[in-house]
Amino acid sequence: MTMMNEAGTFTITMRKRPWWQWVLATVWFLLEVLLLQTALASMKEEEYRAATICWIAVVVLAIAGALVCLRQGRSRRPDESSRPH
Amino acid sequence: MEESRTQKGRRAFLKAGGFVAASGVIGSVFTFVAKVGAKGNARRRALWIKTVDHPTLGERTVDYKRFSGNDMFALYPQLKKQREGEGSLEAEQASSAKRLAGWIGERKPGYSLPDYQLSAGAWTLMHSTKPGTGLLSWTRVSISTPAELETHTYTASPEEMASRVKTAARLYGAGLVGIAPMNEAYVNCQAPQRDPQSQKDRQPIDIVFEDVDVPVVTETRHVIPKKMKWVVAIAIPMDIDLLSRAPTSLGDAATALGYSHSAFVVSSLAEFIRGLGYQAIPSVNDTAQSIPFAIDAGIGELSRLNKLVTPNYGPAVRLCKVFTDLPMAYDKPIDFGLVEFCKKCKKCAEACPSRALSFDDAPSFKTRGPWNNPGHKAWFEDSYKCFEYWQKVNSGCGVCLASCPYTKGAQAWIHEAVKATASIAPASDGVFRAMDNAFGYGKQHDPGKWWTNDPPSAGRE
Repeated sequence: MTMMNEAGTFTITMRKRPWWQWVLATVWFLLEVLLLQTALASMKEEEYRAATICWIAVVVLAIAGALVCLRQGRSRRPDESSRPH
Repeated sequence: MEESRTQKGRRAFLKAGGFVAASGVIGSVFTFVAKVGAKGNARRRALWIKTVDHPTLGERTVDYKRFSGNDMFALYPQLKKQREGEGSLEAEQASSAKRLAGWIGERKPGYSLPDYQLSAGAWTLMHSTKPGTGLLSWTRVSISTPAELETHTYTASPEEMASRVKTAARLYGAGLVGIAPMNEAYVNCQAPQRDPQSQKDRQPIDIVFEDVDVPVVTETRHVIPKKMKWVVAIAIPMDIDLLSRAPTSLGDAATALGYSHSAFVVSSLAEFIRGLGYQAIPSVNDTAQSIPFAIDAGIGELSRLNKLVTPNYGPAVRLCKVFTDLPMAYDKPIDFGLVEFCKKCKKCAEACPSRALSFDDAPSFKTRGPWNNPGHKAWFEDSYKCFEYWQKVNSGCGVCLASCPYTKGAQAWIHEAVKATASIAPASDGVFRAMDNAFGYGKQHDPGKWWTNDPPSAGRE
Protein backbone atom coordinates (compact mmCIF):
# COMPACT_ATOMS: atom_id res chain seq x y z
CA MET A 1 0.00 0.00 0.00
CA THR A 2 1.37 3.44 -0.92
CA MET A 3 0.44 6.57 1.09
CA MET A 4 1.63 10.19 0.95
CA ASN A 5 2.16 12.00 4.27
CA GLU A 6 1.90 15.76 5.08
CA ALA A 7 5.56 16.34 4.28
CA GLY A 8 4.96 15.15 0.76
CA THR A 9 6.96 11.93 1.08
CA PHE A 10 5.69 8.46 0.31
CA THR A 11 5.47 5.54 2.71
CA ILE A 12 5.23 2.12 1.13
CA THR A 13 3.81 -0.50 3.48
CA MET A 14 4.15 -4.13 2.40
CA ARG A 15 2.34 -6.80 4.37
CA LYS A 16 2.80 -10.49 3.88
CA ARG A 17 -0.46 -12.38 3.58
CA PRO A 18 -0.68 -15.49 5.75
CA TRP A 19 -0.43 -18.79 3.80
CA TRP A 20 -4.01 -19.80 4.44
CA GLN A 21 -5.25 -16.68 2.67
CA TRP A 22 -3.43 -17.75 -0.47
CA VAL A 23 -4.94 -21.22 -0.21
CA LEU A 24 -8.43 -19.75 0.23
CA ALA A 25 -7.91 -17.39 -2.69
CA THR A 26 -6.77 -20.28 -4.91
CA VAL A 27 -9.77 -22.40 -3.92
CA TRP A 28 -12.05 -19.42 -4.54
CA PHE A 29 -10.53 -18.84 -7.99
CA LEU A 30 -10.71 -22.52 -9.00
CA LEU A 31 -14.30 -22.75 -7.83
CA GLU A 32 -15.21 -19.65 -9.84
CA VAL A 33 -13.61 -21.11 -12.97
CA LEU A 34 -15.31 -24.48 -12.43
CA LEU A 35 -18.73 -22.93 -11.84
CA LEU A 36 -18.40 -20.60 -14.81
CA GLN A 37 -17.40 -23.46 -17.10
CA THR A 38 -20.28 -25.59 -15.78
CA ALA A 39 -22.75 -22.74 -16.28
CA LEU A 40 -21.68 -22.22 -19.90
CA ALA A 41 -21.52 -25.97 -20.66
CA SER A 42 -24.91 -26.62 -19.04
CA MET A 43 -26.49 -24.06 -21.34
CA LYS A 44 -25.00 -25.90 -24.32
CA GLU A 45 -26.27 -29.19 -22.93
CA GLU A 46 -29.77 -27.68 -22.50
CA GLU A 47 -29.59 -28.25 -18.74
CA TYR A 48 -31.12 -24.88 -17.96
CA ARG A 49 -31.80 -25.46 -14.28
CA ALA A 50 -28.19 -26.50 -13.70
CA ALA A 51 -27.04 -23.48 -15.69
CA THR A 52 -29.20 -21.09 -13.63
CA ILE A 53 -27.93 -22.52 -10.33
CA CYS A 54 -24.33 -22.25 -11.53
CA TRP A 55 -24.78 -18.67 -12.75
CA ILE A 56 -26.25 -17.67 -9.38
CA ALA A 57 -23.35 -19.39 -7.61
CA VAL A 58 -20.81 -17.61 -9.85
CA VAL A 59 -22.32 -14.20 -9.09
CA VAL A 60 -22.73 -14.83 -5.34
CA LEU A 61 -19.20 -16.16 -5.05
CA ALA A 62 -17.81 -13.23 -7.06
CA ILE A 63 -19.62 -10.71 -4.82
CA ALA A 64 -18.47 -12.56 -1.69
CA GLY A 65 -14.90 -12.55 -2.95
CA ALA A 66 -15.05 -8.86 -3.76
CA LEU A 67 -16.49 -8.03 -0.32
CA VAL A 68 -13.81 -10.04 1.48
CA CYS A 69 -11.12 -8.31 -0.57
CA LEU A 70 -12.57 -4.89 0.19
CA ARG A 71 -12.86 -5.62 3.91
CA GLN A 72 -9.31 -6.85 4.12
CA GLY A 73 -8.05 -3.80 2.27
CA ARG A 74 -9.80 -1.49 4.73
CA SER A 75 -8.66 -3.34 7.84
CA ARG A 76 -5.08 -3.23 6.62
CA ARG A 77 -4.98 0.55 6.02
CA PRO A 78 -2.64 2.06 8.70
CA ASP A 79 -4.28 4.55 11.08
CA GLU A 80 -3.17 8.16 11.63
CA SER A 81 -1.16 7.46 14.83
CA SER A 82 1.06 4.95 13.10
CA ARG A 83 2.02 7.37 10.33
CA PRO A 84 5.55 8.75 10.47
CA HIS A 85 5.93 12.50 11.18
CA MET B 1 -32.98 -23.77 22.61
CA GLU B 2 -34.40 -22.29 19.41
CA GLU B 3 -31.21 -20.28 18.89
CA SER B 4 -29.01 -23.32 19.37
CA ARG B 5 -31.09 -25.22 16.80
CA THR B 6 -30.68 -22.34 14.32
CA GLN B 7 -26.94 -22.30 14.97
CA LYS B 8 -26.76 -26.04 14.43
CA GLY B 9 -28.75 -25.72 11.18
CA ARG B 10 -26.47 -22.95 9.97
CA ARG B 11 -23.40 -24.95 10.89
CA ALA B 12 -24.74 -28.01 9.04
CA PHE B 13 -25.54 -25.86 6.02
CA LEU B 14 -22.05 -24.34 6.02
CA LYS B 15 -20.52 -27.79 6.47
CA ALA B 16 -22.53 -29.18 3.51
CA GLY B 17 -21.62 -26.16 1.39
CA GLY B 18 -17.97 -26.52 2.33
CA PHE B 19 -18.06 -30.24 1.57
CA VAL B 20 -19.61 -29.68 -1.87
CA ALA B 21 -17.17 -26.87 -2.72
CA ALA B 22 -14.17 -28.85 -1.50
CA SER B 23 -15.36 -31.98 -3.39
CA GLY B 24 -15.79 -29.96 -6.57
CA VAL B 25 -12.36 -28.39 -6.37
CA ILE B 26 -10.52 -31.51 -5.19
CA GLY B 27 -12.37 -33.64 -7.74
CA SER B 28 -11.60 -31.23 -10.57
CA VAL B 29 -7.93 -31.02 -9.70
CA PHE B 30 -7.77 -34.81 -9.27
CA THR B 31 -9.61 -35.38 -12.56
CA PHE B 32 -7.31 -32.98 -14.35
CA VAL B 33 -4.24 -34.74 -12.96
CA ALA B 34 -5.76 -38.16 -13.67
CA LYS B 35 -6.62 -37.21 -17.23
CA VAL B 36 -3.17 -35.89 -18.04
CA GLY B 37 -1.93 -39.45 -18.39
CA ALA B 38 -4.93 -40.48 -20.46
CA LYS B 39 -4.79 -37.61 -22.93
CA GLY B 40 -3.95 -38.60 -26.47
CA ASN B 41 -4.19 -42.27 -25.68
CA ALA B 42 -7.73 -43.59 -25.75
CA ARG B 43 -6.60 -46.96 -24.43
CA ARG B 44 -5.32 -45.59 -21.13
CA ARG B 45 -7.90 -45.20 -18.39
CA ALA B 46 -8.25 -42.28 -16.00
CA LEU B 47 -6.53 -42.94 -12.66
CA TRP B 48 -9.80 -43.09 -10.70
CA ILE B 49 -10.88 -46.22 -12.60
CA LYS B 50 -9.32 -49.21 -10.82
CA THR B 51 -8.77 -52.61 -12.40
CA VAL B 52 -9.82 -55.63 -10.32
CA ASP B 53 -9.43 -59.39 -10.60
CA HIS B 54 -13.15 -60.16 -10.51
CA PRO B 55 -16.21 -58.16 -11.64
CA THR B 56 -17.80 -56.06 -8.90
CA LEU B 57 -21.22 -57.63 -9.53
CA GLY B 58 -22.30 -60.82 -11.23
CA GLU B 59 -21.34 -63.51 -8.72
CA ARG B 60 -22.43 -66.83 -10.27
CA THR B 61 -23.83 -70.15 -9.06
CA VAL B 62 -23.91 -73.57 -10.73
CA ASP B 63 -27.31 -72.62 -12.19
CA TYR B 64 -25.64 -70.21 -14.58
CA LYS B 65 -25.97 -71.76 -18.02
CA ARG B 66 -25.99 -70.68 -21.62
CA PHE B 67 -29.01 -68.45 -22.34
CA SER B 68 -31.79 -69.80 -24.55
CA GLY B 69 -31.33 -66.88 -26.93
CA ASN B 70 -35.01 -65.99 -26.76
CA ASP B 71 -34.94 -62.33 -25.79
CA MET B 72 -37.96 -60.10 -25.25
CA PHE B 73 -38.54 -59.66 -29.01
CA ALA B 74 -39.03 -63.41 -29.29
CA LEU B 75 -40.85 -63.89 -25.97
CA TYR B 76 -43.28 -60.97 -25.93
CA PRO B 77 -45.90 -62.29 -28.39
CA GLN B 78 -46.33 -65.59 -26.53
CA LEU B 79 -46.26 -63.95 -23.08
CA LYS B 80 -48.84 -61.39 -24.18
CA LYS B 81 -51.17 -64.16 -25.35
CA GLN B 82 -50.60 -66.14 -22.13
CA ARG B 83 -51.30 -63.16 -19.88
CA GLU B 84 -54.06 -61.36 -21.76
CA GLY B 85 -55.56 -63.97 -24.04
CA GLU B 86 -55.80 -64.66 -27.77
CA GLY B 87 -56.09 -61.57 -29.95
CA SER B 88 -54.55 -59.26 -27.32
CA LEU B 89 -51.32 -58.88 -29.28
CA GLU B 90 -53.12 -58.05 -32.52
CA ALA B 91 -55.40 -55.57 -30.70
CA GLU B 92 -52.38 -53.90 -29.12
CA GLN B 93 -50.59 -53.67 -32.48
CA ALA B 94 -53.67 -52.17 -34.14
CA SER B 95 -54.20 -49.53 -31.44
CA SER B 96 -50.48 -48.75 -31.45
CA ALA B 97 -50.49 -48.18 -35.22
CA LYS B 98 -53.57 -45.97 -34.96
CA ARG B 99 -52.04 -43.92 -32.17
CA LEU B 100 -48.82 -43.46 -34.12
CA ALA B 101 -50.70 -42.32 -37.23
CA GLY B 102 -52.54 -39.77 -35.08
CA TRP B 103 -49.33 -38.41 -33.54
CA ILE B 104 -47.63 -38.16 -36.93
CA GLY B 105 -50.72 -36.43 -38.35
CA GLU B 106 -50.90 -33.86 -35.56
CA ARG B 107 -47.10 -33.35 -35.67
CA LYS B 108 -46.68 -34.20 -32.00
CA PRO B 109 -43.17 -33.10 -30.92
CA GLY B 110 -40.89 -36.12 -31.08
CA TYR B 111 -43.34 -37.99 -33.35
CA SER B 112 -43.70 -35.73 -36.40
CA LEU B 113 -42.96 -37.38 -39.73
CA PRO B 114 -39.37 -36.04 -39.82
CA ASP B 115 -38.82 -37.28 -36.24
CA TYR B 116 -40.19 -40.74 -37.04
CA GLN B 117 -38.28 -41.06 -40.29
CA LEU B 118 -35.07 -39.80 -38.69
CA SER B 119 -35.18 -42.88 -36.48
CA ALA B 120 -36.25 -45.17 -39.34
CA GLY B 121 -33.37 -43.89 -41.46
CA ALA B 122 -30.90 -44.49 -38.64
CA TRP B 123 -32.06 -48.13 -38.37
CA THR B 124 -31.28 -48.83 -42.07
CA LEU B 125 -27.86 -50.40 -41.65
CA MET B 126 -28.81 -52.47 -38.61
CA HIS B 127 -32.03 -53.71 -40.19
CA SER B 128 -30.16 -54.84 -43.30
CA THR B 129 -27.94 -57.18 -41.27
CA LYS B 130 -28.53 -60.83 -40.52
CA PRO B 131 -26.17 -62.85 -38.30
CA GLY B 132 -23.93 -65.07 -40.36
CA THR B 133 -24.50 -63.35 -43.69
CA GLY B 134 -23.74 -60.06 -45.46
CA LEU B 135 -22.18 -57.46 -43.18
CA LEU B 136 -22.26 -59.86 -40.24
CA SER B 137 -20.79 -62.72 -42.26
CA TRP B 138 -18.81 -65.22 -40.18
CA THR B 139 -16.28 -65.59 -42.99
CA ARG B 140 -14.37 -63.21 -45.28
CA VAL B 141 -16.51 -60.70 -47.19
CA SER B 142 -14.10 -59.02 -49.58
CA ILE B 143 -10.75 -58.34 -47.90
CA SER B 144 -7.54 -59.83 -49.38
CA THR B 145 -5.93 -62.55 -47.26
CA PRO B 146 -2.19 -62.32 -46.50
CA ALA B 147 -1.67 -65.26 -48.90
CA GLU B 148 -3.34 -63.32 -51.71
CA LEU B 149 -0.97 -60.44 -50.96
CA GLU B 150 1.91 -62.94 -51.12
CA THR B 151 2.82 -62.54 -47.48
CA HIS B 152 2.39 -64.39 -44.19
CA THR B 153 -0.09 -64.14 -41.35
CA TYR B 154 0.78 -61.09 -39.25
CA THR B 155 2.35 -62.00 -35.90
CA ALA B 156 3.35 -59.89 -32.92
CA SER B 157 3.26 -60.01 -29.13
CA PRO B 158 -0.23 -60.33 -27.56
CA GLU B 159 0.15 -56.79 -26.18
CA GLU B 160 0.94 -55.32 -29.59
CA MET B 161 -1.88 -57.25 -31.23
CA ALA B 162 -4.34 -55.98 -28.60
CA SER B 163 -3.09 -52.44 -29.12
CA ARG B 164 -3.48 -52.63 -32.93
CA VAL B 165 -6.95 -54.13 -32.74
CA LYS B 166 -8.09 -51.50 -30.23
CA THR B 167 -6.71 -48.69 -32.37
CA ALA B 168 -8.45 -50.06 -35.46
CA ALA B 169 -11.72 -50.41 -33.54
CA ARG B 170 -11.45 -46.80 -32.34
CA LEU B 171 -10.89 -45.65 -35.89
CA TYR B 172 -13.99 -47.50 -37.09
CA GLY B 173 -16.07 -45.77 -34.40
CA ALA B 174 -15.76 -47.65 -31.11
CA GLY B 175 -15.97 -45.49 -27.99
CA LEU B 176 -14.48 -48.07 -25.61
CA VAL B 177 -12.71 -51.31 -26.48
CA GLY B 178 -11.46 -54.17 -24.31
CA ILE B 179 -10.28 -57.72 -24.77
CA ALA B 180 -11.95 -60.53 -22.79
CA PRO B 181 -11.35 -64.27 -22.78
CA MET B 182 -14.00 -66.35 -24.57
CA ASN B 183 -16.49 -67.76 -22.08
CA GLU B 184 -18.82 -70.32 -23.65
CA ALA B 185 -21.39 -69.72 -20.90
CA TYR B 186 -22.06 -66.25 -22.31
CA VAL B 187 -22.85 -67.61 -25.78
CA ASN B 188 -26.53 -68.33 -26.47
CA CYS B 189 -27.60 -71.96 -27.09
CA GLN B 190 -29.70 -70.92 -30.06
CA ALA B 191 -30.52 -68.01 -32.29
CA PRO B 192 -33.96 -66.58 -31.33
CA GLN B 193 -36.82 -68.71 -32.66
CA ARG B 194 -38.54 -65.57 -33.84
CA ASP B 195 -36.74 -63.61 -36.54
CA PRO B 196 -36.19 -60.11 -35.10
CA GLN B 197 -36.59 -58.48 -38.51
CA SER B 198 -39.55 -60.29 -40.03
CA GLN B 199 -41.11 -61.12 -36.62
CA LYS B 200 -41.98 -64.56 -37.97
CA ASP B 201 -41.24 -67.85 -36.23
CA ARG B 202 -38.44 -69.90 -37.71
CA GLN B 203 -36.84 -73.25 -37.09
CA PRO B 204 -34.25 -73.31 -34.26
CA ILE B 205 -30.64 -72.54 -35.16
CA ASP B 206 -28.20 -74.18 -32.72
CA ILE B 207 -25.03 -72.32 -31.78
CA VAL B 208 -22.26 -74.82 -31.05
CA PHE B 209 -18.50 -74.92 -30.40
CA GLU B 210 -16.47 -77.42 -32.44
CA ASP B 211 -12.86 -78.15 -33.36
CA VAL B 212 -13.06 -76.63 -36.82
CA ASP B 213 -10.74 -74.23 -38.63
CA VAL B 214 -13.31 -71.76 -39.88
CA PRO B 215 -16.75 -70.71 -38.61
CA VAL B 216 -19.65 -72.55 -40.25
CA VAL B 217 -23.11 -71.12 -40.87
CA THR B 218 -25.96 -73.38 -42.07
CA GLU B 219 -29.77 -73.18 -41.89
CA THR B 220 -29.81 -75.15 -38.64
CA ARG B 221 -26.38 -74.68 -37.05
CA HIS B 222 -23.89 -71.89 -36.39
CA VAL B 223 -20.48 -73.37 -35.51
CA ILE B 224 -17.92 -71.32 -33.57
CA PRO B 225 -14.36 -72.75 -33.77
CA LYS B 226 -13.05 -73.73 -30.32
CA LYS B 227 -9.78 -71.99 -31.13
CA MET B 228 -11.58 -68.62 -30.90
CA LYS B 229 -10.47 -67.75 -27.39
CA TRP B 230 -10.49 -63.97 -27.62
CA VAL B 231 -13.39 -61.53 -27.65
CA VAL B 232 -13.05 -57.88 -28.62
CA ALA B 233 -15.78 -56.16 -26.61
CA ILE B 234 -16.86 -52.77 -27.92
CA ALA B 235 -19.07 -49.96 -26.61
CA ILE B 236 -20.54 -47.51 -29.10
CA PRO B 237 -21.58 -44.21 -27.49
CA MET B 238 -25.13 -43.04 -28.12
CA ASP B 239 -26.06 -39.47 -29.02
CA ILE B 240 -26.98 -38.00 -25.62
CA ASP B 241 -28.69 -35.00 -27.19
CA LEU B 242 -31.14 -37.35 -28.93
CA LEU B 243 -31.40 -39.74 -25.99
CA SER B 244 -32.42 -36.88 -23.71
CA ARG B 245 -35.64 -36.56 -25.81
CA ALA B 246 -36.70 -40.14 -24.91
CA PRO B 247 -39.28 -41.66 -24.96
CA THR B 248 -40.00 -40.44 -28.49
CA SER B 249 -38.94 -41.31 -32.04
CA LEU B 250 -36.04 -38.89 -31.51
CA GLY B 251 -34.86 -40.88 -28.48
CA ASP B 252 -35.24 -44.04 -30.54
CA ALA B 253 -32.99 -42.51 -33.21
CA ALA B 254 -30.14 -42.53 -30.67
CA THR B 255 -30.62 -46.28 -30.19
CA ALA B 256 -30.95 -46.87 -33.94
CA LEU B 257 -27.80 -44.94 -34.70
CA GLY B 258 -25.93 -46.82 -31.96
CA TYR B 259 -26.91 -50.17 -33.44
CA SER B 260 -26.13 -49.18 -37.01
CA HIS B 261 -22.72 -47.88 -35.89
CA SER B 262 -22.21 -51.19 -34.07
CA ALA B 263 -22.88 -53.17 -37.24
CA PHE B 264 -20.43 -51.02 -39.16
CA VAL B 265 -17.71 -51.25 -36.48
CA VAL B 266 -17.85 -55.02 -35.91
CA SER B 267 -18.05 -55.85 -39.63
CA SER B 268 -15.10 -53.56 -40.41
CA LEU B 269 -13.06 -54.90 -37.49
CA ALA B 270 -13.79 -58.53 -38.40
CA GLU B 271 -12.57 -57.88 -41.94
CA PHE B 272 -9.43 -56.15 -40.58
CA ILE B 273 -8.65 -59.20 -38.42
CA ARG B 274 -9.28 -61.58 -41.34
CA GLY B 275 -6.94 -59.42 -43.42
CA LEU B 276 -4.17 -60.12 -40.87
CA GLY B 277 -4.68 -63.85 -41.43
CA TYR B 278 -7.06 -64.85 -38.60
CA GLN B 279 -10.71 -65.82 -38.22
CA ALA B 280 -13.31 -63.39 -36.86
CA ILE B 281 -17.03 -63.47 -36.08
CA PRO B 282 -18.77 -60.08 -35.82
CA SER B 283 -21.80 -59.88 -33.53
CA VAL B 284 -24.13 -57.10 -32.41
CA ASN B 285 -27.00 -58.33 -30.17
CA ASP B 286 -27.05 -61.78 -31.72
CA THR B 287 -25.20 -65.00 -30.84
CA ALA B 288 -24.01 -64.08 -27.32
CA GLN B 289 -24.62 -61.80 -24.34
CA SER B 290 -22.61 -58.64 -24.86
CA ILE B 291 -22.79 -57.38 -21.26
CA PRO B 292 -20.74 -60.08 -19.46
CA PHE B 293 -18.05 -59.92 -22.15
CA ALA B 294 -17.93 -56.12 -21.80
CA ILE B 295 -17.63 -56.45 -18.01
CA ASP B 296 -14.79 -58.97 -18.28
CA ALA B 297 -13.08 -56.71 -20.82
CA GLY B 298 -13.10 -53.79 -18.37
CA ILE B 299 -15.49 -51.56 -20.28
CA GLY B 300 -17.89 -50.99 -17.39
CA GLU B 301 -19.78 -52.46 -14.44
CA LEU B 302 -23.20 -54.10 -14.09
CA SER B 303 -25.74 -51.63 -12.72
CA ARG B 304 -29.23 -51.40 -11.23
CA LEU B 305 -30.52 -51.23 -14.82
CA ASN B 306 -29.15 -54.79 -15.26
CA LYS B 307 -27.20 -53.18 -18.06
CA LEU B 308 -23.64 -52.04 -18.42
CA VAL B 309 -22.68 -48.60 -17.13
CA THR B 310 -19.38 -47.22 -18.37
CA PRO B 311 -17.35 -44.59 -16.53
CA ASN B 312 -17.14 -42.48 -19.68
CA TYR B 313 -20.63 -42.58 -21.21
CA GLY B 314 -22.77 -44.05 -18.42
CA PRO B 315 -25.30 -46.58 -19.73
CA ALA B 316 -25.71 -44.58 -22.98
CA VAL B 317 -23.84 -47.11 -25.09
CA ARG B 318 -24.67 -49.96 -27.45
CA LEU B 319 -22.55 -53.06 -27.10
CA CYS B 320 -21.15 -55.36 -29.75
CA LYS B 321 -18.27 -57.81 -30.02
CA VAL B 322 -15.97 -59.75 -32.33
CA PHE B 323 -14.87 -63.33 -31.58
CA THR B 324 -11.46 -64.22 -32.92
CA ASP B 325 -8.52 -66.63 -32.83
CA LEU B 326 -6.05 -63.73 -32.97
CA PRO B 327 -3.99 -63.98 -29.75
CA MET B 328 -4.21 -60.77 -27.71
CA ALA B 329 -3.49 -59.66 -24.15
CA TYR B 330 -6.65 -59.74 -22.03
CA ASP B 331 -7.95 -56.75 -20.09
CA LYS B 332 -9.24 -56.92 -16.51
CA PRO B 333 -12.63 -55.90 -15.09
CA ILE B 334 -12.88 -52.42 -13.60
CA ASP B 335 -14.27 -50.83 -10.44
CA PHE B 336 -15.23 -47.17 -10.38
CA GLY B 337 -17.59 -47.37 -7.42
CA LEU B 338 -20.74 -47.96 -9.47
CA VAL B 339 -22.32 -50.79 -7.48
CA GLU B 340 -22.15 -48.78 -4.24
CA PHE B 341 -23.57 -45.76 -6.07
CA CYS B 342 -26.44 -47.83 -7.55
CA LYS B 343 -27.36 -49.16 -4.10
CA LYS B 344 -28.08 -45.62 -2.90
CA CYS B 345 -29.21 -43.90 -6.10
CA LYS B 346 -32.30 -45.69 -7.54
CA LYS B 347 -32.91 -42.74 -9.86
CA CYS B 348 -33.40 -45.00 -12.92
CA ALA B 349 -35.99 -47.10 -11.05
CA GLU B 350 -37.88 -43.96 -10.05
CA ALA B 351 -37.72 -42.53 -13.58
CA CYS B 352 -38.82 -45.76 -15.34
CA PRO B 353 -42.34 -45.05 -16.65
CA SER B 354 -43.30 -48.74 -16.60
CA ARG B 355 -41.86 -49.47 -13.12
CA ALA B 356 -39.82 -52.28 -14.64
CA LEU B 357 -36.63 -51.71 -12.67
CA SER B 358 -35.76 -53.06 -9.26
CA PHE B 359 -36.01 -50.91 -6.11
CA ASP B 360 -34.18 -53.56 -4.02
CA ASP B 361 -31.38 -52.17 -1.88
CA ALA B 362 -28.98 -54.90 -2.90
CA PRO B 363 -28.67 -57.18 -5.95
CA SER B 364 -29.92 -60.76 -5.63
CA PHE B 365 -30.28 -64.04 -7.52
CA LYS B 366 -34.06 -63.57 -7.88
CA THR B 367 -35.03 -63.37 -11.56
CA ARG B 368 -38.22 -61.73 -12.84
CA GLY B 369 -39.09 -63.89 -15.86
CA PRO B 370 -37.84 -66.10 -18.70
CA TRP B 371 -36.02 -63.14 -20.28
CA ASN B 372 -33.51 -63.20 -17.38
CA ASN B 373 -30.72 -65.74 -17.35
CA PRO B 374 -30.67 -67.24 -13.81
CA GLY B 375 -27.63 -68.14 -11.74
CA HIS B 376 -26.00 -64.76 -11.36
CA LYS B 377 -26.42 -61.87 -8.98
CA ALA B 378 -28.02 -58.73 -10.39
CA TRP B 379 -30.81 -56.22 -10.08
CA PHE B 380 -33.18 -58.07 -12.42
CA GLU B 381 -35.71 -56.10 -14.45
CA ASP B 382 -39.25 -56.84 -15.62
CA SER B 383 -38.66 -56.75 -19.37
CA TYR B 384 -42.33 -57.55 -20.07
CA LYS B 385 -43.45 -54.26 -18.49
CA CYS B 386 -40.68 -52.43 -20.30
CA PHE B 387 -41.55 -53.90 -23.69
CA GLU B 388 -45.27 -53.28 -23.14
CA TYR B 389 -44.48 -49.60 -22.56
CA TRP B 390 -42.60 -49.53 -25.88
CA GLN B 391 -45.88 -50.44 -27.59
CA LYS B 392 -47.62 -47.54 -25.82
CA VAL B 393 -45.05 -44.97 -26.90
CA ASN B 394 -44.50 -46.48 -30.36
CA SER B 395 -40.75 -46.46 -29.97
CA GLY B 396 -38.03 -47.82 -27.73
CA CYS B 397 -37.96 -46.07 -24.36
CA GLY B 398 -34.50 -45.21 -23.02
CA VAL B 399 -35.70 -43.06 -20.08
CA CYS B 400 -33.60 -45.17 -17.67
CA LEU B 401 -30.49 -44.57 -19.76
CA ALA B 402 -31.10 -40.82 -19.95
CA SER B 403 -31.89 -40.46 -16.23
CA CYS B 404 -28.75 -42.20 -14.93
CA PRO B 405 -26.45 -39.71 -13.15
CA TYR B 406 -23.54 -41.21 -15.13
CA THR B 407 -25.18 -40.19 -18.44
CA LYS B 408 -23.87 -36.70 -18.99
CA GLY B 409 -22.76 -34.60 -21.92
CA ALA B 410 -19.04 -34.19 -22.45
CA GLN B 411 -19.09 -30.41 -22.14
CA ALA B 412 -18.98 -29.69 -18.39
CA TRP B 413 -15.82 -30.59 -16.46
CA ILE B 414 -17.78 -30.98 -13.26
CA HIS B 415 -19.34 -34.28 -14.43
CA GLU B 416 -15.95 -35.92 -14.69
CA ALA B 417 -15.00 -34.49 -11.29
CA VAL B 418 -18.17 -35.87 -9.69
CA LYS B 419 -17.57 -39.34 -11.15
CA ALA B 420 -13.96 -39.29 -9.94
CA THR B 421 -14.96 -38.18 -6.43
CA ALA B 422 -17.75 -40.79 -6.23
CA SER B 423 -15.22 -43.42 -7.24
CA ILE B 424 -12.70 -42.57 -4.52
CA ALA B 425 -15.14 -41.45 -1.82
CA PRO B 426 -18.37 -43.52 -1.81
CA ALA B 427 -19.54 -41.52 1.23
CA SER B 428 -20.30 -38.70 -1.23
CA ASP B 429 -22.74 -40.83 -3.30
CA GLY B 430 -25.85 -39.61 -1.48
CA VAL B 431 -24.84 -35.95 -1.82
CA PHE B 432 -24.19 -36.33 -5.55
CA ARG B 433 -27.49 -38.14 -6.08
CA ALA B 434 -29.33 -35.31 -4.30
CA MET B 435 -27.43 -32.70 -6.31
CA ASP B 436 -28.23 -34.49 -9.58
CA ASN B 437 -31.90 -34.06 -8.79
CA ALA B 438 -31.55 -30.51 -7.51
CA PHE B 439 -29.77 -29.49 -10.72
CA GLY B 440 -32.62 -30.94 -12.78
CA TYR B 441 -30.58 -33.58 -14.58
CA GLY B 442 -32.27 -36.58 -16.19
CA LYS B 443 -35.47 -34.80 -17.19
CA GLN B 444 -36.75 -35.03 -20.76
CA HIS B 445 -35.45 -32.28 -23.04
CA ASP B 446 -37.91 -30.53 -25.33
CA PRO B 447 -38.31 -32.81 -28.40
CA GLY B 448 -39.51 -29.82 -30.43
CA LYS B 449 -36.15 -28.08 -30.10
CA TRP B 450 -33.88 -30.79 -31.50
CA TRP B 451 -34.12 -29.76 -35.14
CA THR B 452 -32.91 -26.25 -34.36
CA ASN B 453 -29.69 -27.63 -32.85
CA ASP B 454 -26.53 -28.21 -34.80
CA PRO B 455 -25.90 -31.91 -34.10
CA PRO B 456 -22.35 -33.21 -33.92
CA SER B 457 -21.21 -35.30 -36.88
CA ALA B 458 -22.75 -38.79 -36.67
CA GLY B 459 -24.10 -37.90 -33.22
CA ARG B 460 -20.66 -38.02 -31.65
CA GLU B 461 -19.18 -35.19 -29.58
